[in-house]
Amino acid sequence: MMIALNAVSFRYPRGNWILKDINLHIESKKCTFMVGPNGGGKTTLGKLMTGILKPTLGDVFVDKLNTKQAKLYQVGTKVGYLFQEPERQIFAATVRDELAFVMELKGIEKEVIEQRVEVALVRFQLQEVADSFPFQLSRGEKQRLALATVLMNNPSFLILDEPTTGLDVERKERLSEIIRELKKRGTGMVIISHDERFVEKHADRIIIVAGGGARDGG
Amino acid sequence: MIPIKAENLSFQYRQNSKIILQNIDLTVDKGEILAVAGLSGAGKSTLCYCLCGIIPHVYNGLMTGNVYINGKNTRDLTLPQIATMLGIVFQNPDNQLFSFSVEDEIAFGPENLCVPRSEIERRVTETLKTVGMQEFRHAGPQQLSGGQRQLIALAAVLSLQPEILIFDEAMSQIDSAGKKMVRDMILKLKEEGKTIIMVEHDFENLALADRVLVLRDGRLAPFNGQLL
Amino acid sequence: MAGKVSLDPRTKLFMVLAISSLAVFLTNIYLLLLVLLLAVAALAFAGGSIVDLLGKLKRLIAIFIAIVFVQSIFTKGGQPLLQAGELVILSDIGLTRGIQTMLRFFIILSSAAIMTTSNPREIIQGLIQCKVPYEIAFMVTVAIRFFPILRDEVNDIMTAIQLRGINLKQVPFLKRLKTYSYLLSPMLFSVFMKSQDLSVAMEMRAFRAYPRRTSLRVLHFRTQDYQVMALCTIIFLAIVFTALKAG
Repeated sequence: MMIALNAVSFRYPRGNWILKDINLHIESKKCTFMVGPNGGGKTTLGKLMTGILKPTLGDVFVDKLNTKQAKLYQVGTKVGYLFQEPERQIFAATVRDELAFVMELKGIEKEVIEQRVEVALVRFQLQEVADSFPFQLSRGEKQRLALATVLMNNPSFLILDEPTTGLDVERKERLSEIIRELKKRGTGMVIISHDERFVEKHADRIIIVAGGGARDGG
Repeated sequence: MIPIKAENLSFQYRQNSKIILQNIDLTVDKGEILAVAGLSGAGKSTLCYCLCGIIPHVYNGLMTGNVYINGKNTRDLTLPQIATMLGIVFQNPDNQLFSFSVEDEIAFGPENLCVPRSEIERRVTETLKTVGMQEFRHAGPQQLSGGQRQLIALAAVLSLQPEILIFDEAMSQIDSAGKKMVRDMILKLKEEGKTIIMVEHDFENLALADRVLVLRDGRLAPFNGQLL
Repeated sequence: MAGKVSLDPRTKLFMVLAISSLAVFLTNIYLLLLVLLLAVAALAFAGGSIVDLLGKLKRLIAIFIAIVFVQSIFTKGGQPLLQAGELVILSDIGLTRGIQTMLRFFIILSSAAIMTTSNPREIIQGLIQCKVPYEIAFMVTVAIRFFPILRDEVNDIMTAIQLRGINLKQVPFLKRLKTYSYLLSPMLFSVFMKSQDLSVAMEMRAFRAYPRRTSLRVLHFRTQDYQVMALCTIIFLAIVFTALKAG
């Protein structure tokens, strides 16, 4: 499993180039951080890696799937993506439903779903709000819920866009544990972050994204 | 005059639901930087809403006790009236930017305060410089990254030049160069005698504060290095 | 996308009103065609993209062909041009009415495109300087900003669902329908919350603190604006006169 970007450039129609001629190979089983200044193109790069955005020039391969041709759900079975704004990816009526609903659509048995939901609620400290309306949670709770739903799929690769935003020290430590756990399991990760301590703690590789380019650093 | 004073402030969304704020007494002095820490979900944003009048004016719920801004009870003021004294920067930049360009966004506040055009022009230029976003003056909000939007949200409140400022985790997505700029700006505002309340997780930002309080179980307590 | 000439948004509004009122009142196909050409010319003059416009119009052509046939089948009278047994599929009246409708829509769309060549903030300023109360003018902005927000919201949700490995096309129709209806209320709620947040953000920046407000931008009519409006009036009157004379 790997993500490869071959000579990738990106811009929105009629916009300026956001990324220019990027060549990157990201192996799984590693924790790769993307760092760099605001507006440097980190989020855009992350979205290219999941096929949410398609490259203007060049190709992005997710485990041999070319994102230009692949459907989102095909990439989605391999790669989990955490949006910078958690509100963008939560939409069910309760926290419990949010965790369960994809499995329901896939036709998984009820008991199995319930059991997995309980595990996730505990793991992400969401028991207290299990029956609350997701939009009324605090920012940190929304973030944890979003991450929990992404992990329900057991993706072999994860892309996290600023996962520490809105997390307090204790919750950050909890997130660190989860990352260590995932690493042990062999889940590849690309994490976009400017939280320097967090980067130091987990990075196997650091990519600096700035001025439309990406290079290895630090 | 005391910029912000909360007296026996309590809040819960519904009768019998969890009490989010409990009998809070708080006085923030002129020229003081107060930081409020606490676990996520502890009610820090709710406290901000109470201090700036959004509660009880916008959100439903049970608020008891009173909040005074410059000696006036928030219950007797409208939000636009409060905005002439106090500016608040919210967490999520997407929910506070509504203009078609950065320039319009920053000019919006002073326009409402009937500031003369030449002065608005000056403030737009100055605040953009303060947050290091001069080159984005004519950009649309969708062209900006999350951190850049937060900087614009900050600039849009700074241009109002309020006496009291509340930052509700307003730096969470800003890069380290930007954070340094914002910290310098906060210290400069303090020198100018502005009163600042900031909700923060970041220890580096907590260091700016004259006083750090922790919100825990609905009560404010002095910070001793522990959030729990 | 600034045009070669930057007209005052009020001038553009004037042109749009003149053109679209002609579109509503005229019935003669040749005159409608003339107005359409004028509208496209005005759009080009204002700096709009005709390529974009043609793209939009192309998508509507199928609908108008359908209208021609529907009009033919359900309108009595006229000379049949195409018949299947007793049923008139295409008649001259149907054809005329269909073409009229099509031309009207095209004219209105082309003239509306003229407004999109202005910065929306300038349009609001134009409205305010035409004595529209600023609260109402800004309400319009928020509404304009709102559609892209709603669209993004729907797109994001669809993206997020698919990224969770769901192929919506493979989900059985009834189940999919259930999913949509199930998502509808949280989605509407989130849009509602977002609009509430935006209005709070506006008020917390002193919106409506005073009955008046100043503005960084102020619009001034220039000579070219007066010239364009004069020309516009002359053409308008000439077309109305021709139409009346032709009966």
